Amino acid sequence: MAHIWPIGGGKGGSGKSFLASSLGRLLAKSGKQTLLIDLDLGAANLHTMVDVPYPEKCFSDFVTKKIPNLENAILETPFPNLFLISGAHDSLDIANLPYEQKIKTLQAIGKLKYDYIILDLGAGTAFNTIDFFLASHNGIFITTPEPTSIENVYRLMRAIYLRRIRHFFSANDFKALGRKVKEHLGDDSRHQPENIVPIIKKEFPEKYALIKKDFNAFCFKLVLNQVRKQDNAALGEQICKFIKKHLGINVDFAGNISYDEHVHDAICQRVCFLDRYPHTRAANDLRVLNRTMSNAFGEQMMLNYL
Amino acid sequence: MEKDFDRMNYYEMLDIERNATAAQIRAAYNAALQMYQPDSMVSYSFFSRDEREKILTLLDKAYFTLINEAQRTRYDGELDPSAISESGEKSAAVKKPVNIFEINRQQLNSPARKIQNAELKAKIAQNPLIQEIMARQEISGADLKAMRTGLGVAIEKIQQETKIRLDYLHDIEEGKTDKLPAAVFLKGFVRAYLKSLCIEPADAISVRYIDALQRKN
Ligand SMILES: Nc1ncnc2c1ncn2[C@@H]1O[C@H](COP(=O)(O)OP(=O)(O)OP(=O)(O)O)[C@@H](O)[C@H]1O
Ligand SMILES: [Mg+2]
Repeated sequence: MAHIWPIGGGKGGSGKSFLASSLGRLLAKSGKQTLLIDLDLGAANLHTMVDVPYPEKCFSDFVTKKIPNLENAILETPFPNLFLISGAHDSLDIANLPYEQKIKTLQAIGKLKYDYIILDLGAGTAFNTIDFFLASHNGIFITTPEPTSIENVYRLMRAIYLRRIRHFFSANDFKALGRKVKEHLGDDSRHQPENIVPIIKKEFPEKYALIKKDFNAFCFKLVLNQVRKQDNAALGEQICKFIKKHLGINVDFAGNISYDEHVHDAICQRVCFLDRYPHTRAANDLRVLNRTMSNAFGEQMMLNYL
Repeated sequence: MEKDFDRMNYYEMLDIERNATAAQIRAAYNAALQMYQPDSMVSYSFFSRDEREKILTLLDKAYFTLINEAQRTRYDGELDPSAISESGEKSAAVKKPVNIFEINRQQLNSPARKIQNAELKAKIAQNPLIQEIMARQEISGADLKAMRTGLGVAIEKIQQETKIRLDYLHDIEEGKTDKLPAAVFLKGFVRAYLKSLCIEPADAISVRYIDALQRKN
């Protein structure tokens, strides 16, 4: 089964697509069969970053059954070993995929024969984003060192956490949990997962054990993008330590990517940044990051929903 | 799943080992302040105002307890009654009284910093208002602020250097004693504040500040 790397970030413009295309390029270059899937269904644009200006078919054709199976939606890119499933047509609003469609998609992704599959996800905390992010144990969070971007990545982490907790409850049990939460925390307190989990521990201990085990299997990563010279280089490590302490989620810091004007230049020229500006600091950061991540993630990736 | 912050013991709060040295405790406290202060990028937006206030208060308590040899021994005893006999051994690391506020000593001695210090001293010597304030018997928070602004130093700069919480620094300048930490700590804070502005004798001036405050109340 392929290694699946979902990339999510909460905030728009943090560099999800840039990271997805760059990692894809590096993996492909090292001989790995690599597939990029643009799941930013409301604002697909990954094709532009891998020089596929006119995708003649896309993911939404699979959803509308115009294309019978996902494999047929795969496009070649100009780069050897690198393939793409482009996002949605503008005309079709599938930003909110029904649950069955999502499961179907995830199962179809699981059957694709690639070494690496990278999922470029939309901004925000829509169920689409969260469910695709949870499709693998190796989700990658990306943020810039700005309070707004960090705020959104925390929101995404909490949303993912809650969604995963929900997974362990039947509709009825979940209602019961809701009542318990109200009892313990009152109506107007902030119902954050970190406050809810202690209540689960107390009221539903067997579920707590399952959730804990489940979360320990995850091996999330954090990437800090657009890091400038004057920024605190230790910020990423601090965030991971903080999240471990206060949310109880394991997130490993994978590395910084420097801010570099050439990224903008490359995107405007619609050429691959790594090929056009291989000797920049940001390009070097990306290569280091790719090495770190390829080593850190285990061999076998499991799809949670299968 | 981690424990609630308020259920952690002081060592867990500061992320240190039970046998941490004073220097380690101080470093851990600084690192924690960097994470939990209102302007910290790490925790900004994660907590409500009340949650943050609670955590900062707990951190202060943890720090001031552990950095004080006698209080630490007592606290260790409460934590782990069976270990009292060992506590003598444990506190061997904290034999000498430590100055808890001279945090960035190295930074203060760097070449760049030496030039800055010389400039500050020159400014102090040439500024009649500062000279006049320094000669006063009673020194108020407003006086401290007047000297700082006279030297053109931002309060954030002092915060960076001394690692004293920004809200404490503001309280010191506004003379809001009720919000300030206990007198022992306060004197250390004021002294560190003055040192970072190169205003000497920092000891004597901080005493005059504290005395004036106490008289006011
Ligand atoms: N390391 C970097 N240095 C400089 N600029 C960068 C860097 N990374 C990204 N950018 C800039 O940020 C812009 C947004 O990047 P990207 O499209 O990858 O973000 P995104 O997270 O996918 O956004 P969206 O949520 O809108 O899809 C890029 O067009 C580029 O100009
Ligand atoms: Mg994008």
